[in-house]
Amino acid sequence: MRKASIIFAALALAAAFAASGCRGRTVSPSEVVAVPEQEITLDPLDDAWYPLPYHPAKLILQDLVEPRLMEPSTAEVEVTAMTDGKDVAFRLEWIDGSQNDLPGPQAFIDGCAIQLPSKQDANVPAPQMGEEGKSVEIAYWRADWQAIVDGRADEISSIYPNAAVDHYPFKAESLQKDPKKQQEMARRYAPARALGNDRSGPRKQPVEDMVAGGPGTLSPASPVSSGKGVRTDKGWSVVIVRPLPAFLTDKQSANIAFAIWQGENNETGARKMRTGWIPLVIRRLPE
Amino acid sequence: MARVNNWQLGREMSYWYPESRPEKQFAAVFDINKCIACQTCTLACKTTWTSGKGQEYMLWNNVETKPYGFYPLSWDLKLLEMLDGQQWSPDGSTYEGSTIFESAPAGERVLGWRPEDEDYAYPNVGEDDCAGQIDGGASLQMPHMAWFYYLARICNHCTYPACLAACPRGSIYKRPEDGIVLVDQGRCRGYQECVRGCPYKKVFFNPMTGTSEKCIACFPKIEQGLQPQCFVNCIGKIRLAGWISKPGEEREDNPIDYLVRIRKIALPLFPQFGLEPNVYYIPPIHVPTSFTRQMFGPGVDDAIAAYKKAAAEGDDDLTGLLGLFGSTEEVLSRWNRSGETITGFNDKGEEAVRVPLREPVSIRPSYDKLYQITRVNCP
Repeated sequence: MRKASIIFAALALAAAFAASGCRGRTVSPSEVVAVPEQEITLDPLDDAWYPLPYHPAKLILQDLVEPRLMEPSTAEVEVTAMTDGKDVAFRLEWIDGSQNDLPGPQAFIDGCAIQLPSKQDANVPAPQMGEEGKSVEIAYWRADWQAIVDGRADEISSIYPNAAVDHYPFKAESLQKDPKKQQEMARRYAPARALGNDRSGPRKQPVEDMVAGGPGTLSPASPVSSGKGVRTDKGWSVVIVRPLPAFLTDKQSANIAFAIWQGENNETGARKMRTGWIPLVIRRLPE
Repeated sequence: MARVNNWQLGREMSYWYPESRPEKQFAAVFDINKCIACQTCTLACKTTWTSGKGQEYMLWNNVETKPYGFYPLSWDLKLLEMLDGQQWSPDGSTYEGSTIFESAPAGERVLGWRPEDEDYAYPNVGEDDCAGQIDGGASLQMPHMAWFYYLARICNHCTYPACLAACPRGSIYKRPEDGIVLVDQGRCRGYQECVRGCPYKKVFFNPMTGTSEKCIACFPKIEQGLQPQCFVNCIGKIRLAGWISKPGEEREDNPIDYLVRIRKIALPLFPQFGLEPNVYYIPPIHVPTSFTRQMFGPGVDDAIAAYKKAAAEGDDDLTGLLGLFGSTEEVLSRWNRSGETITGFNDKGEEAVRVPLREPVSIRPSYDKLYQITRVNCP
């Protein structure tokens, strides 16, 4: 009697969904499927993502090289993908109860990254940042860069609203009429920017392209990726768009890996949750 | 981990990289007894290097009042607590405890902690606060019953830098030509592992550039044979910059070698941390050594005795060499004394400065007979 009532309830629920035209999201349990689409979207909240199958990628500790993350944090990242034949877009969604997008001493930033081998090879590179002679390409999104791209002023007052600063040399009255000289002076007091360190901004994209050949070798690469992240009621939803690798076709699969940093948990650099290699395929949705 | 020789501990220790001493090692001696905490050094550094956005809170050079002054808050106490009461051998020759490299927990490169932004909000909390209350019956005695002293601090340009060991991507390097430790601003990605690792908390995260920055020992000046800004602007003349020789190669005519290794009156800051720091301090003579032994190691009593004897018993070499502090902008790599004259020589071997053993003293009569007035004896 009890069993029969449960079956009845399930049938009623299915009928209700069918009547409303609402279908549950499809899970792709063992691979990331990039679905061919006419156009790809940079918007994580675009309805176009909804019918696509998502892969729930289990995250594991980065525990191979010091400094390691010793306690697991984010358990899973849901990955959805689409391609227009030229670029490929990945939407990463994960649970994160706190928004960490303000940098500072002992303040770390929420972020995520996708990683693909630089070239197709029967022997895939080590999933943790590749290895010597077998490099990997990484596109890295950060919440603080997103905030700046979205319009937050790149000023100390954005971090410390009540900051009182006596004087910056580049704001001297004598330089006010000469913006070029003023910029030169400002660069002198921001050595990382003066050296062209891509990490140090000013940011025009929330995503940074990099290449690595093993832990500790992360280096800047030509900027080819773009992205957009939004805060959801559960955590983050981030789209990263990068060029479709030539070796990834509807006949040839590839590998992809993901990493998540939870700022609240002081995760930065090597202290992160990550996946191993996950198969990445291009496949149309069944009609 | 490699095994390396740390002469300050009197033993080998574990370090992340093999021993590789630079051709020359930047080093300095600070005479704590002369410091008046005027913070001119702090301002000299601040206006020269850290006036940019994101550097507002940074003090690559700071002066704090011990025992209650810190920058950042409790920087030394926190690590001492984490190390949990380590010991030297009874004769003081060997450190028997664990360094921050040897105490590194699983998953870490060094034992460390990271200050929060509020820890930087009190650059010298406890300024001029005595170690105890002054009660009735107190008298001035040595060491003082109630005391404080000023501790001027810069990056120690350590032989075994913890910041360098802690960086997972090799963004920090020690220059082979002069041993100065620098953060490569083109390579740093702002993980703050160096901030966590440096026990002296002399690496600072810049939230505007997203990279970590630190004291550069004014290397553009050093490259010209000149002492850093905080040295030459010190009105108390407490500082002397130079080069410390490799262990076993010390020379009597090298001012730093003479003070640190030969006369042993200048001591490293918290040698037990294991970094072989290269700023050496002449400890304060009025402070109970039960306190300063923890900060400068077991050589404190001997150092104070030698320092006090220098003037009292006519130790002309030591007294004379102390006269070279703050006497010239040039880095002095050699010195000698000839009778009452002490001469300092620069890196090229040229005479840079000459000072008398004792400054001549003239006492003017208080009543000027010529003008028939009483002089006010102000300088």
